[in-house]
Amino acid sequence: MTPGALLSLAAASLVAGIASGPRFSRAWLAFTLTGAVAGLTATLAVLLGATDWEWQSAFALGGEFVHLRLDGVSALFLALLSVVGGTGAMYAREYWSEEHYPDSAPRGRLWWSALLLSMGLVLLCANGLHFLIGWELFTVSAFFLVTLDRQRPGVRAAGWLYLVASHAGTVCLFAFFSTLAARTGSWELGPMREQVALAPLFWLALAGFGVKAGVFPLHVWLPSAHANAPSHVSALMSGVAIKMGIYGIVRFSGWLPVPAGAGWLVIGLGATSALLGIAFAFAQNDFKRLLAYCSVENIGVILIGVGGALLAVTHGDAPWGKLALAGAMLHVWNHGAFKALLFFGAGSVLHATGTRELSKLGGLWRTMPWTAGLFLLGSVAVAGLPPLNGFVSEWLIYLGLFDATMSKGVSAWAAMPAAIMLAMAGALAMASFAKAGAMIFLGAPRTHVATDAHDCGLGMRGPMLLLAGVCVTIGLAPILFWRVAARVVASWRPAWVMVEAPAPLTTLGSVHVALAILVLLAAVWLWRKSRANGLACGLTWDCGYATPAARMQYTSASFGGIVAGWFGWVLQPERKLRRPRGQFPTEAIRLERVPETVLERVIGPVGAVILQVSTAVRQLQHGRLQFYILYVLAGLIALGVLVMIGGAQ
Amino acid sequence: MNQVLEIILRLAVWLLVAPLLPGIINKVKAWVAGRKGPLVLQLYFDLAKLWRKGVVMSTLASPAFVAGPAVAWVALTGAALLMPLGAAGSALSFRGDVLLLIYLLALARFCTAWAAMETGSAFEGMGAAREVSYAVLAEAAIIAAVLSLSVQTGSVSLVTILSPSAGAGAVLLAAGLFTVLLAENCRVPFDDPNTHLELTMIHEVMVLDHSGPPLAAILHGASVKLLLFAVLLVQAVLPMGDLTPLAATGALAAGVLVVTVGVGLVESLLARLAFRRVPLLLTTAFLLCLFALLVAWKGGAK
Repeated sequence: MTPGALLSLAAASLVAGIASGPRFSRAWLAFTLTGAVAGLTATLAVLLGATDWEWQSAFALGGEFVHLRLDGVSALFLALLSVVGGTGAMYAREYWSEEHYPDSAPRGRLWWSALLLSMGLVLLCANGLHFLIGWELFTVSAFFLVTLDRQRPGVRAAGWLYLVASHAGTVCLFAFFSTLAARTGSWELGPMREQVALAPLFWLALAGFGVKAGVFPLHVWLPSAHANAPSHVSALMSGVAIKMGIYGIVRFSGWLPVPAGAGWLVIGLGATSALLGIAFAFAQNDFKRLLAYCSVENIGVILIGVGGALLAVTHGDAPWGKLALAGAMLHVWNHGAFKALLFFGAGSVLHATGTRELSKLGGLWRTMPWTAGLFLLGSVAVAGLPPLNGFVSEWLIYLGLFDATMSKGVSAWAAMPAAIMLAMAGALAMASFAKAGAMIFLGAPRTHVATDAHDCGLGMRGPMLLLAGVCVTIGLAPILFWRVAARVVASWRPAWVMVEAPAPLTTLGSVHVALAILVLLAAVWLWRKSRANGLACGLTWDCGYATPAARMQYTSASFGGIVAGWFGWVLQPERKLRRPRGQFPTEAIRLERVPETVLERVIGPVGAVILQVSTAVRQLQHGRLQFYILYVLAGLIALGVLVMIGGAQ
Repeated sequence: MNQVLEIILRLAVWLLVAPLLPGIINKVKAWVAGRKGPLVLQLYFDLAKLWRKGVVMSTLASPAFVAGPAVAWVALTGAALLMPLGAAGSALSFRGDVLLLIYLLALARFCTAWAAMETGSAFEGMGAAREVSYAVLAEAAIIAAVLSLSVQTGSVSLVTILSPSAGAGAVLLAAGLFTVLLAENCRVPFDDPNTHLELTMIHEVMVLDHSGPPLAAILHGASVKLLLFAVLLVQAVLPMGDLTPLAATGALAAGVLVVTVGVGLVESLLARLAFRRVPLLLTTAFLLCLFALLVAWKGGAK
């Protein structure tokens, strides 16, 4: 089948999914999976083939002809949408099931299909007006999914914040698309790199899409929305929805000319997001918030690559620009896969224990071995450790940054600090996930909720295994991806097609395979050797504690304490301390909370001032007629004075 | 066939020589303190003994408690195989292998920390937290050092970047890398491998509950890591590429010996730092490497 037919099938299945969702959960799953598979096949046809797919309607919708287009860039994102959307639908059937949530499960299915459809629409539209319509539908469907569990006040607050922040971004996009349409005389989108006058519009696009992507400091909505949404929704939001912001930035920096400073700003934003995002993540006690902040970090990593590519465009250094962009695009995919896997894992833990607090968990590996193993795999991938996929994309970005530094050109001044910050972010990511994994799954259960847990069923395990398979495959055979990357780069910058970008992915892949085999062999060998020598079990020795208790274990806050101290200037942790008093102290408390600093310390106070000013101004509006006449009189006199001064000149 | 033989030979050199280094350090410390000290080959005996011993596992620990040390050992040995040895080059060299090496060290660290957390002990949690936190600064310093070597030679492959001398920034780079070596290998002034005060330790406290073959894997891996950093430091500073093969091998061996004795002397003459000073010293190491990078930059522009 052609991509067109497949995409129509996908769209029809999703529409059928919307229709059947509220009533028939099995039919809905079948339709959604058909849509996902059809969408994936269509994108593979475009990514592995040589031609783009394009379609223009004969009828007008809202005064504009429908223009759909699937090229390398949009196909990459659409493929990710299909995979995460499909696996998430499978996961949701058990996770957000009818019997547990009779009220919200039907709504969840409906909006899931609607969200997939609207995101697909955004990716395909090559018309500014329809793009905006799709964008708004996407924002609104995501809002309804985030607030599925709307009885809880936290969920409503998170949904509200998400809606407001998204619309602040959409305002920028309205300005962007309408200015673009006014300048070019048409809503049609497409390559227009030669119209240099359009370059400043990039700043509007960066602001609008940056909010959606969750770039620091525009990420304020992201942690609470991702933490409070149901986990399959968090997976889709974090894996795909924030990537729509990246898509926008990549798409319009490819189609439109970019201002000279764009690369500098994007790489700077990327490096800041990467380092601060992961610093916030490390300090969290709520594991879903930790994952959410980690998304800010990964968006930063992607933007380091994109910014590098933009710098390369400005300064004409195609080879390393190609590497950086290929790395960033692979990271889009990788982050989608491992973050969805981690959110599914987090969902299983939440499902089993009902708490998101790391300090209440522990020792879950015994009751939830599958979830523990898959979460560990996801942690290794997200920390960018070999031999999994996270390392491959970071390695490509590093290669680009190193080449940029070695060229000793102007861009080296951006590449050098970016490489160092990327290294620090990588080390912090490793630390964060060592903490998260260990606090949830290792040691002794800290409370009874952790003791009574049970592992997830096949319906939740299957999608996690699929995503884990994606992580392992990209890690062990990264060369498979190079063709796709080359295709994406060709769509982004056709002039770079013939540029040689040396990245020995085949060698890296074989090293990864060897490493994976050796690691397994060594682990099995050491285990068998230990068994053969005699394996005794006993209490944790711990220098001779006779009765270690679960509450004596290291906690999440103490684990992150050192780094939280270094980043105290931005984390601004709130501490509550009550020391033990008297001969027989009854209670002592030490609570520590890391606020969302940008939201609570910057946007909150500014918003409060605006509200105060508005309340003060409202005093003028009281309904007494004589005062209104006075206002009019005062206005007239002021105007008269103004005219007299103006006339005198 | 030849290639397989070569890899086996390299592996033998790395695995057999590595346990010598802690022995030399201990001998130097004993000599400075006027003691007789343990044998230079003591670690070999210890490893052989541990390998034959049984294992006591915490009731809380999962099989990953044993698998972690195994994975860490493989990662460290793999990193060692990527490291060139003087004139012999490396077993496998490709563009960007230096980044793989850095991340293999990170993989080893992750596995050690994970295995430490398995026991649910507060001591081990504390050690793991310190290890992963200080690694952030150490990793920044290493990347800055590698960047300086890359700028110097215009390459991202270990064989090429380690072949010439580090040039004008060599002293800065040597000081920076030596400090990182001390931190990454848990030596004084960052950590005290001899102490019995668990509260003051980083690495040693993470392995408190390990015993038998897994402990042997950890100790041996640690010695491989020490040798790896010593070899890196020596090759980064000395112009290995300009020497004849025999001289290069001799220089490498002598250099590693000097570094090892240096570690022993530092350990004898300095006290362990207070923990709040550790980040300062690591930041100093990072700045030294950063200045080496700037020197390399200016040096090449002439």
